[in-house]
Parts: sequence; C-alpha cells; structure tokens
Amino acid sequence: MSALRFGYGTNGFASHRLTDALAVIADLGYSGIALTLDHDHLDPFARDVAEQTRRVRARLGELGLGVVVETGARYLLDPWHKHQPTLVSADPAPRIDFLRRATRIAEDLGAECVSFWSGVKPSDVDDETAWRRMRDGVAAVLETSGVKLALEPEPGHFVQHLAQALRLRTELGSPELLGITLDVGHCVAVEPRNAADCVREAGDLLFNVQLDDMRPGVHEHLEFGEGELDLTGTLAALTEIGYEGLAAVELPRHSHAAPDVARRSITALRAADWLAGAERSVRADPVKIRTLFPAVGRKVGRSPLDARGLVHGTTDDHARARLLAALADALSGGELAKEVAGLYRYGDGAERRGVLRGLHLLPADDEVVDTGLRLVEDALRANDIGLVAAALGPFAQRHLDAHTWRHGVLKCLFTGVPVAAVSGLAQRADAELVRMVTDYVAERRAAGRDVPPDADLVLQEAGQ
Amino acid sequence: MRIFDPHIHMTSRTTTDYEQMYEAGVRALVEPAFWLGQPRTNVGSFTDYFDGLIGWERFRASQFGIRHHCTIALNPKEANDPRCVDVLDVLPRYLAKDGVVAVGEVGYDSMTEAEEKAFAHQLTLAIEHELPVLVHTPHRDKLAGTKRTLDVVRESGIAPELVVVDHLNELTVGLVADAGCWMGFSIYPDTKMDEHRMVTILKEHGTDRVLVNSAADWGRSDPLKTLRTGEAMLAAGFTESDVDKVLWQNPVEFYGQSGKLMLDPLETDAPTGETFEGNSVLRGARQ
Repeated sequence: MSALRFGYGTNGFASHRLTDALAVIADLGYSGIALTLDHDHLDPFARDVAEQTRRVRARLGELGLGVVVETGARYLLDPWHKHQPTLVSADPAPRIDFLRRATRIAEDLGAECVSFWSGVKPSDVDDETAWRRMRDGVAAVLETSGVKLALEPEPGHFVQHLAQALRLRTELGSPELLGITLDVGHCVAVEPRNAADCVREAGDLLFNVQLDDMRPGVHEHLEFGEGELDLTGTLAALTEIGYEGLAAVELPRHSHAAPDVARRSITALRAADWLAGAERSVRADPVKIRTLFPAVGRKVGRSPLDARGLVHGTTDDHARARLLAALADALSGGELAKEVAGLYRYGDGAERRGVLRGLHLLPADDEVVDTGLRLVEDALRANDIGLVAAALGPFAQRHLDAHTWRHGVLKCLFTGVPVAAVSGLAQRADAELVRMVTDYVAERRAAGRDVPPDADLVLQEAGQ
Repeated sequence: MRIFDPHIHMTSRTTTDYEQMYEAGVRALVEPAFWLGQPRTNVGSFTDYFDGLIGWERFRASQFGIRHHCTIALNPKEANDPRCVDVLDVLPRYLAKDGVVAVGEVGYDSMTEAEEKAFAHQLTLAIEHELPVLVHTPHRDKLAGTKRTLDVVRESGIAPELVVVDHLNELTVGLVADAGCWMGFSIYPDTKMDEHRMVTILKEHGTDRVLVNSAADWGRSDPLKTLRTGEAMLAAGFTESDVDKVLWQNPVEFYGQSGKLMLDPLETDAPTGETFEGNSVLRGARQ
C-alpha cells in the first residue's frame, strides 16, 4: 500500500443528506471527500452558510476526513441553464462571485483547495475572447483567494486539455496558488496521453485528483473496470510524483446506488494500490515476489473475466502477469528464468496459471524461453484445465514446437477448454492439425458420440 | 454444536472420518504441518507435503462440507536432521499462501540446540509474516520443556496473544496462562488429556484463551474428541454458549489473527463430481 489518500465526491451522494453521506464515506474507509457545493450540500448562498460550514468542519474533524471543495454544481447559479454562467460567459461576474464564496468556505472548512473548470465556450465567442475572459476571471478569483485553486480540464469545455490549463497558468505568471485538478477518466477520454503520463506531466502542480474510469472519446464517468483506465499504473504514477493531495472518486451519475458504488470503488482502489505497491517492491527487491505472488488473490480478487476465466483468465491472473513484468524489470537471463521457475514450482494452481499467462511479457532470451517452454509442457501434461488453457497463450504461439502445440489444441477439444483460449489458432493451424482434428471427429462419429462444436471451429480457423 | 478443530492431521485420516466429523458439527479445522511417523530425508518431501496441505487436502475437506486451513513449519523432530533444515528457506513462500493461518508446529522435541535454532528462527518468520504460532510441547520432560519454550517465546518478542502452546496438561497449564499465551489441549483416547480432565481444567481456569483439539493423526486417536469434550462440558453444567466459545469462537479468534480464515459456508456436504486439478474424491465411473 502507498500513502495515497482516497476520497469520494459528494456529488455521487446527491440523494443523501450531507451528514449521512459523510458518515457512509468514512465508514467505508475513505480518507476524505470532494465536496461539491450545491443547494442541498452546504449551499454557498444560504443565509446561515457560516454556521453550516462550522458544523461540517466539526463533523469532518470527528470523522477524520480531509476535504477539497468542488464547484461543478449544475443548477446552482441558473435554474434554467446547466453550469451557467461560466468564466467564459459574456457576464462571468456571478461565476466569479461564486468562486470567491467557494474559496472563503474552503478556508473556513480547512479545505485543501478549490477546484473549478472553464465552462463551455459560447458558440458566438471566438477563442481569443474566451481565452481573455478565462485569464481575467481566474486572475480575479486568485486576487482574493487564501486557498489553492485547481483548474480542471473538462472534456467539451473551453479548457479541456492538461496542456491548455498549464499554459493558462504560465500566462498568469505561474501564481503559486494556482494548480491543476486532473480527472484521470478524462485523460482516457480526451488526452493524447494516458493518465499516468498526465500525472507525471502535471507533477508538483497537481493539487487535486478525481478518479473514475472512462472509454476513449466518450465523456461518461464509469466505475473502475468498466472503461480502459489503467488504474494500477495511474496510482503508481501518483505515488511516484509524491502526490499528497486527495484522490477522490468522481461518479456524479451514480447517486442512486451511492453506498454500493462507493464500496466497490474503495475495494478496486485498494486492490490497485496494493498491486502498484507490489510492483514497486518487486522492482526494488525481486525476492519479494516469492511472498507477494501467493498473496495476489487475497488482495485483488479472483473474478473470472469470461464465463469460466479460461479464455481471458481472471483478475488475479492479470495482476500476477504484471508482477512478472515488474520482475523482468529487475532481473534478466538466468536469474529471471530461475525465479520464474521457482514461482511455478512452489505455486498453487492459481499461481501457476498466473506464471503461464505472463510468460509472453518476459524478454525472449534463450534461458527465459527454455524455462517458459518447460513450464508450458508441464501445464499441458496436467489435468487442470485452467492450466491447459493458460499454457496456450501468446508465449506458446510464439515459441512452442508444432508437435506439442498441436497436441495442446487437441487436449483442449478433449477436456472442454474453448479453443478461443488458444492464441494464434488461425496462424498456426497446419495440415497436420487438420488431419488430427478430422480423425478425432471421425472417431467420435463412428462411436455415435457428440462432436464438440469447437472441433469445427478449429477446422474453420484452419481454412477448411 | 458447531466445532472448529484447531489441530488435526487430516492427511492421515479417511473420508469416513470427514463424514463423521461433519455429522458431529465440525465445519472448520486447522491441519498443522508435522512429521509423518517416518522421517523425511530431503526438502522436496516437505514441499510436496505442504503443496498437499494447501491443495488436495483442502479440496478433500471441502467435499465433505468442512473448511480446511493449515499451518506450515519445520517440525521440532526433523529440525535435528541437517538434510531437512534447508526447508526453512522456502517457508516464506508457503506462509504467504491463502489458508495458511499460522506458523507451526514449532517448538521442542528433545530440547536440542538444532531444535532451538529452528524454533527461534520460525518465531521471527511469524513476526515478519504477521502470523500466529502453534507451539508443540515435548512429550518427555514436559514441564521443563514448557518452561524453556516460554522463555524462547518471550525472547523472540512476539506478542503472547499470537502464540498457542499446545498439548498442555494440569501441570503445564498454569505456566502458559501466566505467560499470556493461548492454551491448547489435545484430547486423546488414552494419553495426553481426556475430556473429563479437560472439563476440570476448564472449571479451574475458565474458558478464555483455551483451545481444545483432537490432534488426531496416524496414531491411535479420535477425531470426535472435540465433540466428546463439548458433551462432557454440558454434562458438567457448562452452558451451550460456553461450549460454543471453547469449540468455535476461541479458535476463530486465535487463527483469525492471521486474517486468512475462510469461514463462509460451503455449498456441499457430500462429494460431488467436482475436481481439484482434474481429480475428484469419487471412485468409479465419472462423466
């Protein structure tokens, strides 16, 4: 585990009273909240906002929660138009006033920063004008602020890329109080580079982090695992740059199931954070893999990624493959081969599967390949179909001799392993495999027994 | 009556034992690594045995509705054989595995220097791996052996609540109670302890930090001695809740310190066609 502090955004608890949301979030083990000021959650325009702020601060203290202030409420300033007005509107004054209020509330709360975005550029405004409004607006808020301000690039907004936000800061003379909010899901959706690289680029200027998953090109906040974010790699990057702020889950459209979503999220975060830490340990001291490898299932889970996990493996398979890749960063040649062989020898079924599914990530030098082949051949002799399936991945496709490989495919047909588990079936299938499968089919038919549908699949893949 | 047998060597037992244990209320157990009755002569014999404890035997127990955990160690007796001592180097790999809930059995057999060295080393491993320790006390010279055992435990710096000192009797229980360790009692058909003497000890010392086990193995022993102790407790006026504390809650509390107990109920209490690494406990025709 790292020193990262995970939080949860209260905009994902919009159907909860703020006090209840804080209790649930704390009970689940989060270290803080990203508090979106909204009509129901510490309304900045309420007459008794000072008193409310004192109460929230006291409650946060009792629960041991840190806080950042978020300003992305939808209809706080204009009941008709979402997010309006913004810093790039014709009249940004209400937005500037709101952001100033937010900074005062943040000070009174003891919050770590106030996060904000540019807003969408109105269609009748040119870039130059929008940029000037943005610069002037941020300068105006900075003028009176006693807390850190973190500009969030937001997909579809005027400032939507990290590079733009950094440029704006430079143009303002690199004020110390101005930094970046990075939503790692947004990186997947719109940034030219992955989230881990964005984290490194922001470096010391990273004041605030929002965590969620996303798919490329689609600005839809998803739970971890539903998109294409490399969560482990992203958390590793946060640790690497020494990030000390909150990293809060941002799932504003999941309020209907908030407690369950928050529970799943912290589980995923702990698993990814553990794995990132395990990778660091292995790189620093390769022997550590001997005790980390067996612990993987307990720490990251064991869910199959398809019906039986035979085709794509399981969550722990993938985590173990990452540890093997980390091992290959630290060791090479004979040393690497020996360590990998030891993991397989002393591994239980799941650990052996993990080794097999990670072999193709190792450098293809002679000693490593020889060891890999020995392990694959051992697995193909086993009765455990999980091992048989894992043995016929990309490593076997590249390195296993034709005879053994063909017999592996035939074993899949015999034992009910879907041939979808065999990497490169179409490329490697040859006349001899076709003959073997054809004979097998004929034998089954002669005996009046069912022919496994995958037998036809093999013949099709072989172009028969 | 729900029973957790905190010390039983199931690799030596039959499927009939599993059936009778389930019938008696046994739902979970811990199988400590120990010697096989005949000496091992190399490290490979240990690792194959450990692989069986975390693999095949866990599967076999599950087929009878029983959760199987184990402890891993170089046992005191074989700590004296230089051909076996190198197994200490592979223990960390096994201590990290699922269902390995303690380091054990460690301790003294003949109170040799080699035994003491292995014992102290394995206490250090337990501290490193944040695991409880199951300590065997010698059959011969038990009182002196127990005293020395407790000295070694103290010197190691391990928290006493992480240590169970096993095979105690009327003469050794007081020492262990005073040391703050857990007290283990093996109930045998004729040696060590019987269920009636056990009840007397419970009356005197109470039910806190007490573990009762059958320690059944390949010798004359009875895997139902836990049940018999529960019955004797009830007959002597203990409540059902006292029995539950001794036979279930206490082992759960002690081994639970490992964070690796697996106590969710199993779906089955009779063997299915399910396989472990392709092999099942059924005999005869299979699909």
